[in-house]
Amino acid sequence: MKIFVEMAKCENHGQCAISAPNNFELDSDGNLRYQESFGEEDLHDIEDAIDSCPLQAISLDRDPTYA
Amino acid sequence: MPERGPLIGVVGAGIAGLRAANALLKRKDDARVVIFGDENHRTYNRPGLTKKRYPNSGSPKSELAENLKIKEVENDSVTWRLDTRVEEADLSGKVLRLSTRGTFEYDGLVIASGVRPRTSAEVGRECAFHTHRTLRGLDDAQYIHDELRASKKVTIAGAGFVACELASLAGEYGCEVSVLETRRSGPFESMLGRNISQALRRWLVQHGVTFLTGDSARQSMCSGSSEALNPESSSDRSLYVEAIGSVPNVEWLCGNGLDLSDGVRVDEYMRVPEREGVFAAGDVARYPDPWATGSLTRMEFWKNAVETGELAGRSLASALGYESEVSQIKYFPSMSTEVFGLRIQIAGDPKACDSMEIVRGDLDRLDQGVLVKFLREDVVGGVAYMDEGARYNRLYIELVKALKAR
Repeated sequence: MKIFVEMAKCENHGQCAISAPNNFELDSDGNLRYQESFGEEDLHDIEDAIDSCPLQAISLDRDPTYA
Repeated sequence: MPERGPLIGVVGAGIAGLRAANALLKRKDDARVVIFGDENHRTYNRPGLTKKRYPNSGSPKSELAENLKIKEVENDSVTWRLDTRVEEADLSGKVLRLSTRGTFEYDGLVIASGVRPRTSAEVGRECAFHTHRTLRGLDDAQYIHDELRASKKVTIAGAGFVACELASLAGEYGCEVSVLETRRSGPFESMLGRNISQALRRWLVQHGVTFLTGDSARQSMCSGSSEALNPESSSDRSLYVEAIGSVPNVEWLCGNGLDLSDGVRVDEYMRVPEREGVFAAGDVARYPDPWATGSLTRMEFWKNAVETGELAGRSLASALGYESEVSQIKYFPSMSTEVFGLRIQIAGDPKACDSMEIVRGDLDRLDQGVLVKFLREDVVGGVAYMDEGARYNRLYIELVKALKAR
């Protein structure tokens, strides 16, 4: 699975970086940075980040190459 | 004949109701779930109503609705009864009376009827000067976005989250914005205190907002009722939005012996203690505060609705005899908003604190970032961070983590 953020929806509120700091962060200008791939141990935090996003911009997409 | 699963009524089509429905169906897929919503829309992302403007040509209505879609509504096991208000509940007879004149008998019930805007004026009314509106639902937002897009003058009564996001949105659309706050000196004062509130007020004023307080605000308030109508001036009327707080939708539950003093009182598993098989979640649920022993809390935030809804669904599954992991609510308040480019993040419960301390930055330079902690008897009970960028975001996250672990 991969993390997918709809950047057109993202407004850089930063709630994801609080829920899952290993996977999301805001750079010094306040823009979201994230890594698509993640370790299994972060899954719970990422799900929390998905729920926390006030714009509902984050989802987990199954990577078709591993389907 | 195959055995039929239990029939579950969910009153409220917001995220709390949908989450409860989905959490139940995940554990008990033969349950028949009916969600009642008084809007003509399935669940959507409510926080997104005021988060950004829709400048494109074409239909802003469909643009807004499209942008607020959420994946979770795609669950074919749920039956939607939209445009249907639940007028009355008889919890001992387990029956709901509907605005469509029908009734609905249930085996289990989730109360997720939310809140409505507090208002002093009659909504939808026009006076000589204004068109009066409030903002809660998608239709309200569609109307307001349309009006703001026409770059009209807008007056907003109130200085809370909805009011400030609306002011910011209106400013982006190019409107002339006035904010009226009669009781406080600036935005979010009851939560963040006077100093931050005044700094935020200056921020709004720097961005072109006319911010009136006290008597001058009172003089500009309009209840919409006493003015004589002049039909010829209808095009001159400006938008007047009241965003002065909310009222829990509990009237339909009266007469059932529940504690409805501020929303619906539930226990830490979202169970309504007086009635077996009845649960409440979302903005309407008042539950034992996991961060302050002995007190109750009721919160109107997206994540609170998600977590209480999920738990209500799990608890319901468990009550129906299905294996379901149920643990006490642990929701940790963490919220954010953006006002004229300033991101404001708040975590914990600053309202319950008695002093504040600036960790980084200067309240006269909000754009450069200000990080604040709130103390209650010298213990940190809340943190807030305001910034145009994210200079201190890491430090803020560390403070939030420490607060959460306390």
